[in-house]
Amino acid sequence: MTSAGDGHESGYDRHGDEASRAAAPDARPPERSVPDAGPAETEPDARFTMANERTFLAWSRTALALVAAGLGIVQLLPPFPGVPVGRHLLGIPLIILGAVIAVAAYLDMTRNQRALRRDQPLPRSVLPRLLAATIGGVATVAAIVVLLSATR
Amino acid sequence: MPSASPHPQVVDPANRTRLAWTRTAIAFAAIGGAMLKLSPVAGLVVLVLSLPIWAAAPRSRGTGVATSSPRRLLVVTGTVVIVALAALAVATFGHSPDSLGQLLRAR
Repeated sequence: MTSAGDGHESGYDRHGDEASRAAAPDARPPERSVPDAGPAETEPDARFTMANERTFLAWSRTALALVAAGLGIVQLLPPFPGVPVGRHLLGIPLIILGAVIAVAAYLDMTRNQRALRRDQPLPRSVLPRLLAATIGGVATVAAIVVLLSATR
Repeated sequence: MPSASPHPQVVDPANRTRLAWTRTAIAFAAIGGAMLKLSPVAGLVVLVLSLPIWAAAPRSRGTGVATSSPRRLLVVTGTVVIVALAALAVATFGHSPDSLGQLLRAR
């Protein structure tokens, strides 16, 4: 899901795969220093920056899909018999997760870009685990709600 | 970073990035269109918000390849958060007979 719809990225991996950098040997950053220094920073190759940007956009679309799914569950599903707040239990966490993912994706993107500028390994992203955990939780709640409504 | 002729290896990633921006803007418009049915005002707001997303896409001037500034990406994040808040409001206080607001008031 890291780069949905961009399956054929040009040799850039979020987790700092050195092999992927080796695949683009002429992708060394031009020696153009960034004003707000710190450790020596150079502007990364444009392809890496664009891949980072596409990953961010893919996460934003995922966030948007979660918001749409949450809203659809709350507004379009028929109520669960015997569990009046069932749809809200399922839908509202998805909407909140959408907002959280949108913000986290931006922070992730800026961290990755900083690491690229400093020629450091990319930091590990918390987003996949967050997404998996929340979807797993919502699926569990969905199973419980469906079972409860079936028994009433 | 305009240049006379961008390196061919950069043109494809730039095109993919522009397409990703277009997909994102279309996703916003689609959500807005769907929300129109549930809440015309919120749907219209989201539909209109797809315009700044589309406008935030980097455009290469001349033959150069453009990349986005963090501020443009912040526009996307802010817009998704606004959409999520609007969706939360519609989900909680929307005018369905068994909305969460109605359920909470009934107790």
